[in-house]
Amino acid sequence: MEFILFILYPLALVRVRLIIPALAFHGTLIISSAVSYGRVPLIGTHDTLGFLAWSVGIVYLFFGWTRKRDLFSYVTVPLILVLLAGSALSPAMRGPLPPVLRTIWFELHVVLSFVSYALFAVGAVFGVLYLRHGRREDESGQYRNLLLGYALFSLAMIFGGIWAHLAWGTYWLWTPKELWTTIVWFSYSLYLHARLVRGWAGRPVAWMGIVGFFIVMFTYVGVGLLMKSSHEF
Amino acid sequence: MKNFFLSLKTTVWTLLGLICVFFLGSYLMPAYRDVHGGMNDRLLFQWVEQVALDNPGETCWFFASLAGLVLLTINTIVCSIQAIKGKWTREDFLLRIAPQVVHLGFLCILLAHLLGAGWGYRVSGMLPVETYAKLPENRSIYLSDLRPLVDDRGGLKDWAAVVAIFENGKRVATGTLGPNTPLFYQGMGVYLKSFDLQERPVAFLMVNRDPGAIWALAGSVLFMIGIVIILVLKWKKA
Repeated sequence: MEFILFILYPLALVRVRLIIPALAFHGTLIISSAVSYGRVPLIGTHDTLGFLAWSVGIVYLFFGWTRKRDLFSYVTVPLILVLLAGSALSPAMRGPLPPVLRTIWFELHVVLSFVSYALFAVGAVFGVLYLRHGRREDESGQYRNLLLGYALFSLAMIFGGIWAHLAWGTYWLWTPKELWTTIVWFSYSLYLHARLVRGWAGRPVAWMGIVGFFIVMFTYVGVGLLMKSSHEF
Repeated sequence: MKNFFLSLKTTVWTLLGLICVFFLGSYLMPAYRDVHGGMNDRLLFQWVEQVALDNPGETCWFFASLAGLVLLTINTIVCSIQAIKGKWTREDFLLRIAPQVVHLGFLCILLAHLLGAGWGYRVSGMLPVETYAKLPENRSIYLSDLRPLVDDRGGLKDWAAVVAIFENGKRVATGTLGPNTPLFYQGMGVYLKSFDLQERPVAFLMVNRDPGAIWALAGSVLFMIGIVIILVLKWKKA
């Protein structure tokens, strides 16, 4: 069924609002997975990349609602397709959650993390638009995405800390994954502060927003593959 | 010197420096597992004293990150004091106070880490069923039962350990431990880390007291209050 998404999502290249059927169908698939697994379907790369693609689509629709077809679509839609392809190539993890993951704190932590990643992704796209056209509206588009993403990411870290405190007796563990999560948080703190500094505002800050998303993707995919951490289940 | 601590450029460069040292740390941690392995098993200051100081090359990133965080703390405090000074108007009150609330939350979280690193305790060990173990603060723990729950296919579905805490010989708390379900008693937490049912049922328990935890929670609440106010105000403006 998932292959249908590869036909539906590219319709957004014709007009932004034509992403709605893809989002509706993808949302239905996510909900049906949740019902069949009996849990939130956010375990493993298959589930999380798929959810990230869907979240990017939602953010794209929200911020692109009044936009005409332009570079915003030409960058975001292929990004969604790349994330979907990554999801399709990864094995799905079916069955119930391991006991340690059966808590609302885990679900909130993961859902908010991926929604914030989606906002960071679209923020990076706005950064590309700003570097290309130099329009103020693209800079403010990037700022709004990254500020909201930063708030949700901070909340995700707080919920993760509460969960870790209940599960392992500590809200912080010294592992590479936690260090990289903090690097992500520092990166967007840097973006928000640098935006207020004369000489940094403008193109350098737009680049920071773009580089930030690559750090996010490395934290999500690269650290999990290369380094051992508490985020392995 | 005051201008240095007051400058946003100091914030930006310090954050950039912290990103670099954390990056270095994420490489050195798995490369020198024997040095960094104990960071989570004991209080951080104990690890610094017993391990890190003897291995400065492998742990240089940690000391550099401490220095960066100290600089960022001073920078945050000085900037916030400066922002609070001066005339306030009703119109800009929220916009001026919200970043300071975020800063206060951040400082509380740093304080939490400091308290958790140096004070409190963390002990762990195997405890067979129907035996006692001594704990700090004149307390002891008794494990009365250990129950694994298996599903239809024989997989482990859940587990539970029934424990009691004694203080000066009196039973003061009882509870059932499980995944994400510790037992708290006056700031002390008891956690079931794992168990073994091979011969005699044995639970691997961890008991800790982290005086920073409450500060971390308070700091998180303050941080989110501040960031939501900024979000609402700046969203419209942007």
